[in-house]
Amino acid sequence: MTPLAHGIGGFRDLPVPESFFFATAAVVLVVSFIALGALWSRPLLESHAGGRALPRGFQAVLLSRVLRIVIQATSAALFVLVFAAALFGTTVEIENLAPTFVYVVFWLGLPLLSVTLGDVWRVLSPWRAIADATVWLLELGGREARPLLAASERLGRYPAAAALFAFVALELAHPRPSYPRTLAVAIALYSYWALAGMAVYGRDAWTRGGEGFAVAFGLLARMAPFAVREGRIVVRWPLTGLGGAEKVRGTLVFVGVMLGSTSFDGFSRTSVWQDLIADVRARLVDESLRVSDLAVTAVNLVGLAAFVAAVTVTYLVAVAVARRLVRAPRSLVPDFVLSLVPIAFAYLVAHYFSLFVIYGQYALALASDPFGRGWDLFGTAGNVPNISLLAPNTVWYVQVASLVVGHVAGLAVAHDRAVALFERRGDALRSQYPMLALMVLYTVGGLWLLSRG
Amino acid sequence: MPAKVLAILVLAFVAGFALASCGGAEGEVTETTQTQTTTETDTERTPTTTEEEPTVVRVTVTGGAPDGGIARETVDKGDRVVLVVSSDVADEVHLHGYDISRDVPAGGTVRIQFTANVPGRFEVELEERGIQVADLTVEP
Repeated sequence: MTPLAHGIGGFRDLPVPESFFFATAAVVLVVSFIALGALWSRPLLESHAGGRALPRGFQAVLLSRVLRIVIQATSAALFVLVFAAALFGTTVEIENLAPTFVYVVFWLGLPLLSVTLGDVWRVLSPWRAIADATVWLLELGGREARPLLAASERLGRYPAAAALFAFVALELAHPRPSYPRTLAVAIALYSYWALAGMAVYGRDAWTRGGEGFAVAFGLLARMAPFAVREGRIVVRWPLTGLGGAEKVRGTLVFVGVMLGSTSFDGFSRTSVWQDLIADVRARLVDESLRVSDLAVTAVNLVGLAAFVAAVTVTYLVAVAVARRLVRAPRSLVPDFVLSLVPIAFAYLVAHYFSLFVIYGQYALALASDPFGRGWDLFGTAGNVPNISLLAPNTVWYVQVASLVVGHVAGLAVAHDRAVALFERRGDALRSQYPMLALMVLYTVGGLWLLSRG
Repeated sequence: MPAKVLAILVLAFVAGFALASCGGAEGEVTETTQTQTTTETDTERTPTTTEEEPTVVRVTVTGGAPDGGIARETVDKGDRVVLVVSSDVADEVHLHGYDISRDVPAGGTVRIQFTANVPGRFEVELEERGIQVADLTVEP
């Protein structure tokens, strides 16, 4: 029962036509070269990240304890509902709230919210809410709640990268990722990972380095025009949060998982990969389904890991070349890694925009009948999704537009870092040749994946 | 010390994840049976010659896998399509997007007839096994 294969989906966009592909690739190249010469010569992003504080009234309401508690309680309740649906609801995937909620509303909706509104996951995370409530109860009982261990610098974001990889592996490598009971086990496990980590390393430390979703949404939120700084909500230019170097270890691998998983999702839907999987199935036709499932999962895992590795390695190569070109005394790895964040978001939009719009409609019906028991709580259970809502043309334009905008944003962030880093304009420019090549590779590569049938 | 604690956390997580991976298949799957299927046409495509004649996409499934690989067909929006799936294992044939499902008994054949009025690429799957058998492209 897998209406939601590949996490979700089973129907996809038509491949981007060749004319779109070549036109967009040409635009990307031209824009890139113009950008090299025409962009600003003094760093702008970091100095503007402070933004302007919102008026006092807004601050008081938005940052109030009451609002936070209401949101956290709602989020925790929603979490319990989704988990219960996965655990006890119908096993017909399309009639159970959990798969659509996890793979569409949550995994596609939150990046969008984070990029537009800032780091909302801080208050929306149900795990954070549960941890906050636990600490509050402990303190109420007169006990001190403190982490068992000091946060380790050495681990950096590697635990979060592992956690996110586990999630995308479930979504993209597992043969039936949307089967509600599988999802229930996965939710239980992830909750354990999030809560145990917070207990051991502390809530803030684990949110920064261990909770995969918090790190993903947190990185995306740095593109947002809103942020909380020094206890105040500020409004600022988009992308300014991505200025400066990112010294936290494991950030590159984390971004590699974000970019690599999205591109593997695209690649795994091409006929090349579909036929490979069908071939594996055909060879194991005499074996039990479990054996054939394991083989398919293994092949998918190898593909997924290869894409993550490819993103990471190409970045390392580009940065190493840049270092040689300008004879930099130290590695430039931490300096340009944040320029990949807008590209990761562009990939998400390009690959999942139509899925979000089409399958998001299912959420409306499922809200009325989360367990698939024939309820109609809000009178929306009969809501039939309109699958022809998006014309293929609309989808193609959104796809190429998001890739081009992401590309330009990535270039701008890398350029800003380069002029901050190097005193001589010549060095700044030279360091950008390999970065430019890298981004053209990512953007045209992403575009190519979208154009494959 | 922290590395040790983390190692334990990771191990528990990995073990559990492996469990989750197996959990899905539990209790919903019967062993595949090997019935001899007649080796006739794997996927036979009949092009639309006249307006009234529908495009027929024929798939034969042996042991849960489509003979000759995934059947691919491209039709134009508005075409009539008949999907004929013969299977030696009992499962449910599901055409995604259009969301049409039919149960197929072991050794049986199902026909799904519809008008392709939504453009896009649509997978046809054996639902319970999560195995793709056909891929239908509807051009706008």
